[in-house]
Amino acid sequence: MARPTPEARLRGIERQREQVLSHPLARGLRTDEVARHLAGLPARRFPSIRYAERERGMPLLQPRGGTPIFEEQLRLTRMLSDAGADFVPLTIDSCTRHNQYDTASQLLRRSEEEGKAYLNGYPLVCHGHELTRQLYTGLDKPVSLRHGTPDARLLVELAIGSGIAEIEGGGLCYSLPYSEGFPVDRALLYWQYVDRVCALYSTPERPIHRESFGPLSATLVPPVIAIVIELVELLLAAEQGVLSFAVSFGQTGSFIQDVATAQVMRKLARELLDEHGFAAMQVRLVYHQWMGQFPMQRERAAALIAGSAMVAGVIDADKVVVKTVDEALGVPRPEVNAEAVDSVRYVLRTFGTPAGVDSPAIQIEAALIESEVRSVMQAIFGLSGDAFWESVYRAFQMGWIDLPFSPHADNANKLVTMRDANRSIRIVEPGAVPIRAQDLVAERAMLATRTDGEQKTYRRMLADIALMV
Amino acid sequence: MVEAASAESPRLVIGVIGDDIHIVGNRIMHLALEESGCRVFNLRTRNRPEHFVQAALEVNAHAVFVSSLNGEGEHWCADFRRPFAALGLGHVLLYVGGNVVVGSRPEPEVVSLFKSYGFDRVYHQRPDIGAAIIDLFEDLKHGASHP
Repeated sequence: MARPTPEARLRGIERQREQVLSHPLARGLRTDEVARHLAGLPARRFPSIRYAERERGMPLLQPRGGTPIFEEQLRLTRMLSDAGADFVPLTIDSCTRHNQYDTASQLLRRSEEEGKAYLNGYPLVCHGHELTRQLYTGLDKPVSLRHGTPDARLLVELAIGSGIAEIEGGGLCYSLPYSEGFPVDRALLYWQYVDRVCALYSTPERPIHRESFGPLSATLVPPVIAIVIELVELLLAAEQGVLSFAVSFGQTGSFIQDVATAQVMRKLARELLDEHGFAAMQVRLVYHQWMGQFPMQRERAAALIAGSAMVAGVIDADKVVVKTVDEALGVPRPEVNAEAVDSVRYVLRTFGTPAGVDSPAIQIEAALIESEVRSVMQAIFGLSGDAFWESVYRAFQMGWIDLPFSPHADNANKLVTMRDANRSIRIVEPGAVPIRAQDLVAERAMLATRTDGEQKTYRRMLADIALMV
Repeated sequence: MVEAASAESPRLVIGVIGDDIHIVGNRIMHLALEESGCRVFNLRTRNRPEHFVQAALEVNAHAVFVSSLNGEGEHWCADFRRPFAALGLGHVLLYVGGNVVVGSRPEPEVVSLFKSYGFDRVYHQRPDIGAAIIDLFEDLKHGASHP
């Protein structure tokens, strides 16, 4: 039995840290200097302070954005901030995510020479922390690091060194959807390092905030899997002493399932933290607008973004990560990103938020999801291992944690899901995911409402995936 | 239903190029091509051009489908046909699709760029795989446009 415990804190991290920081691209970063830099930042650069000021029913807004050239990133940062983003994003390029700093440097140089983006994000490790700090001079809102890096140790050291106080990611959520072969046990350990470093730089008033990435593969992920992964990463961060954390999920495509997922995620996050001795940890809920395939037509994309903004208001998300009308067309221009912030704000302001929307259908859905999540979490807690992370790894190895459409070679891929007639994501085959027989019966009964059984499988799957197109 | 692939079935190498990890289209393509009666050799994600060349040689492929969803395609696909031709694989059909360049650029410009790299067909931001499958069976009758 290995349950989460404060005793699991990484020991001897100093040696590993010296090694990470001896990389030439760390450029002699000194942790005491970084701590002083953090202490001198405006208080609102820290997410927990911004979250505490939030009005009920008005989620904070965060766009996405990262571009290789420093001056362009500076322009993007200012434009997004001026457009009313509550959180400013820094999205990292995919070479850096795979620790390929040489390729990233080459493509950065080519981008600078030709004035054209050959990277799909900002190569923070190549630019370094001293230059990156200059992106945020005078900014009084939090910056959020968005990436997808299984080994983010150096990246996160440099990000915090740049004054970035929100770190997205986790051992499962940043390897299963993003990596083909990165060993998941190592990813879990490297993210323990990240969590520990975040905790070491935290003070009770100014914690470095962690966020997990609940949309995962963003493709037919059933709520039970998203919630289990979020809860696991929340508890792993708590073990390392993180004081402020956000769990998240991506719009499912079903209004009922979104409301139910938000209810269960909030409830069980708090319950599990309190139960395991982490009552001091603050927890927030983040909602990602539709992460699946987007319509090419801007009018439809705008309608989807507006509808999704309504859902964010109804579930009273602490933050919503917004999409743009150009989502289907590639990396959006800064202007389009700024417009997206404005239009989501407009929807949230204009419609206000009915408090506590509920219905019998939502209650049935929430009860089913909660029962499934409790089964899987109890099963993981019951696994052998000296530490909670080992139980989590074992659960993944055995296919108890199984992510549909994960590119990872070790993912079980036995869990099969499809949408029911109400567009909710249902479990067709649970694979090895340990849910109760009666819950599986309920899932299949709900699925039986579907009527396109004679279509080719790939066409049915495409229809489910292209739900919003 | 999956139609049974036979010895005469078209042999296809598919995969995602660059450090791109977008797997969904790859999974669906695999399924769709198999359901259309092809034998699919799936390199999945994170491939370099030479992986496609080696695989095509190994399985004696009729066609190669390269995907790029994050736009890295422009960097990696330059002169894509040359190593195929150098190994006597000039007859292999080469297709590329996805979001093959970063940012928004006119489709004709993108198509002619990738045709200049040696691709027979370019599907930039065309989500329907069905069209590519129809093209594939048509092209298999005539052979590659870059002999």
